[in-house]
Amino acid sequence: MKPKDYRTELEPVWCARCGDFGVLKGLTQALSDLEVPPEKLGVISGIGCSSRLPGYLRAYSFNSIHGRALPIASGLKLSRPELTVVVVGGDGDGFSIGLGHIPHAIRRNVDLTYLVLDNGIYGLTKGQASPTTSVELKQSLGLAGGEERPLNPVFLVLSSGCGFVARAHAGNLPQLREVVREAIRYPGFAFVQILAACATYQPQTYADDLYGRCDPLPAEHDPTDFARACELAVADRFPLGVIYRRPPDQAPAMAGALRWGEAGIWPAPGAGDTTVQPQD
Amino acid sequence: MEIRTETHGAKQGTPAPTPATDSIVLTLVGSGGDGVALLGDLLLRMAAKQGLYGMMVQSYGPQIRGGESAAIVRLAREEIQYEGDATDLLLCFRLSDLARFRGAVRLHDRALTVLESADSGDLPDWLGSSEREPFRFPFAAFENGQEVPGEPKNMLALGLLCRALGWSRDLAAEGLEQRFGNRPALLAKDLAAFYRGYATEGMPALPPLGGHGRPLLVESGNEAVARGAIDAGIRFFAGYPITPSSEIMETLIEELPPRGGRVVQAEDEIASLGMVVGASFGGVPAMTATSGPGLSLMTEMMGLSSMAEIPSVIVDCQRAGPATGMPSRTEQSDLFHAIYGGHGDFPRVVLGVFDVVHARDLMHRAVHVAEAFQLPVLVLSDAYIAQRRQIRDQLTPQEQAPKRRTWTEMDGPARFSLTAHHGVSPFRVPGTPGGTYLAAGIEHTQDGNPSADGTVHQDMNEKRFRKLAAIAVETRQWFRTLGREDAPRGLIAWGSQFGILREWVRLHPEYRVFLPEVLHPFPVAALEAWRRGLEWTAVVELSFQGQLRRLLAGLTDMSQVRGAARSGGLPMSLHELAHLLEEAKA
Repeated sequence: MKPKDYRTELEPVWCARCGDFGVLKGLTQALSDLEVPPEKLGVISGIGCSSRLPGYLRAYSFNSIHGRALPIASGLKLSRPELTVVVVGGDGDGFSIGLGHIPHAIRRNVDLTYLVLDNGIYGLTKGQASPTTSVELKQSLGLAGGEERPLNPVFLVLSSGCGFVARAHAGNLPQLREVVREAIRYPGFAFVQILAACATYQPQTYADDLYGRCDPLPAEHDPTDFARACELAVADRFPLGVIYRRPPDQAPAMAGALRWGEAGIWPAPGAGDTTVQPQD
Repeated sequence: MEIRTETHGAKQGTPAPTPATDSIVLTLVGSGGDGVALLGDLLLRMAAKQGLYGMMVQSYGPQIRGGESAAIVRLAREEIQYEGDATDLLLCFRLSDLARFRGAVRLHDRALTVLESADSGDLPDWLGSSEREPFRFPFAAFENGQEVPGEPKNMLALGLLCRALGWSRDLAAEGLEQRFGNRPALLAKDLAAFYRGYATEGMPALPPLGGHGRPLLVESGNEAVARGAIDAGIRFFAGYPITPSSEIMETLIEELPPRGGRVVQAEDEIASLGMVVGASFGGVPAMTATSGPGLSLMTEMMGLSSMAEIPSVIVDCQRAGPATGMPSRTEQSDLFHAIYGGHGDFPRVVLGVFDVVHARDLMHRAVHVAEAFQLPVLVLSDAYIAQRRQIRDQLTPQEQAPKRRTWTEMDGPARFSLTAHHGVSPFRVPGTPGGTYLAAGIEHTQDGNPSADGTVHQDMNEKRFRKLAAIAVETRQWFRTLGREDAPRGLIAWGSQFGILREWVRLHPEYRVFLPEVLHPFPVAALEAWRRGLEWTAVVELSFQGQLRRLLAGLTDMSQVRGAARSGGLPMSLHELAHLLEEAKA
């Protein structure tokens, strides 16, 4: 299937020049590269601008409630291990209201791919500070929490024991495509911070400034080196690429235990129409 | 389950009414380490083995370990759901431990007491008086006036009690061998103490109470919920530990994986129901279990389950009070939350459990309704049912495949088709080619596309609530009545009040009782039919606000109906109910 075949007819509600367009494109490219059949694909999101993304994908998609995409995706993957499950959300959805679920999804090592489209602002509610908004921006715009330091998502997930940690930029499609592809292929919980511009609530210069801080990881980077990954996570510059990749055999992903269809409890998909009509 | 440790209104020390059925009530009191819970459990299992019915409730002090502990075991020739008002036998290893159970234990005038020989004190006045002299036995060993570890007191007591009950030595020996066969040294010590207790001369006999000889089953309310859910086809469970529901998860951890299912301990109750919704979105019947505080956290997700039309089953073992309240105590005060909790209009179904036996049956119905109608179903149990152990008839597990209406054709109707029969539009299970769609908590068109159109919202609400109307038709007979049809006085109650009211109507034939199994949508027509000709009616419930009575006021004329309600904490006793009804009449 071509990348565009993964798109539904729905037109995105995003603003012009929103970074989320790039992520949608890069994700469909990665899915096409991996030849994931749409019926075997689950895409789960919470609430926010970027959480609208599942509606634009041909998949068993779920635009759920704010901050709860990870538990819902975990339930889906653990009960239907044969599906490819991708979680999409923003920095507010993931790092504020939903933060409590991240270390536990990592601890369980459910085989999910978690893409956080981090634009450092609340877009859908029109411009409030998120946990990754810089102190300078908050103070210059008079946003709440001007004294609160932003959190470091990459360092956070590394310290929680995440087996696959990567960073991409929505404006660098080839690199985004590759990183997302690797994340989906990783057998375990995979986290990708995708730096994305907000065209409306971040300053005009934000996208360029952000991109200016990004460097591709050097070719000699060893992604199994945890200590080096932690150093890179706390550096001023933003390295793009797979920052850390634990060999999967060191911590196997939580396997599905369900004997789908075998117990005769529930028919496998396509096994026949189980219709039940309420009694009159 | 907690036993009563105080009385409400009734005078203390007054003789209790005669039990409504042939039964024996044994009250066992000790300190942590005395093993009264094990003693009660062994007695209950031995009773079940010889075809006697019964139940056991327990109480502990506030300590995690140690402290005072009591078990009440009531044995009977027929099924019971109430541990009785007055005790036939009180066994107490230490008189000072009795104080915490003031009001919980009452002697009738022929009751036996078995006390520690070294305890020279008198029985407290509040206990009521028996005309029989206490039987004293040296359970404890002493050196220089200090108690030292000796023979296991509970095994000495087991011997005494088996003898008093007229049970054979072999029955108890078999029970102990089953329990401790893998620990020979312990077994030998226990058996020796048991035999010494059994051989004691002078232990008075209890009235004979014979079982029918066929072995019966011992099960707790939480075990029954778990096993009923498995039989009904639940194959995914996610939960978070909370008193008094944790044994549901513990039972499922043991028993669900061998049946092809999976259990996850989630990080909180939001995640619990989230995982359930995710598994169910995947087509796998799923449930969670919690108590009031957990239900509060699940409330937003419950709305999602209804809005996105994804089946879920939520068991709430109610405990007393808001916030932390009294976690180990029972109450019936989550009714409003279960029926009304959550923002926006959304359909959900609420069922109420009567007892351990009913729990299994109700889980089948809960799973059926959730799966057939694609919405959340709440099952309300409570601490009194959840943690009691009850003897019941043997059963043959009825394994059922839940029936979810699923979509299998390439050109089938829209996922949320507005014209679907009874509002139930075919579900699309991930993996089905051509069936991809967007499930959403955001309002959506029948194709699943997000919409902020008021007309779409109105149409979708009508579609979703058509399911509730169809459920009301299907569940219109989901209630139980007790007593004579022409009895002039009526009591309306729900849940665990079933046990005491069964005995109440036998003692008071002028009463009839209506107990709904489905609380929402309430079987109003059945209630109306049942209440015809009543001279006087009251609602009996463990809720300070009288939540059932208030609920009914919105559904039918309740102007002449009295409330016999109080806060939870402890279940009602028969003598207390008499008092509450007298007050309601005044």
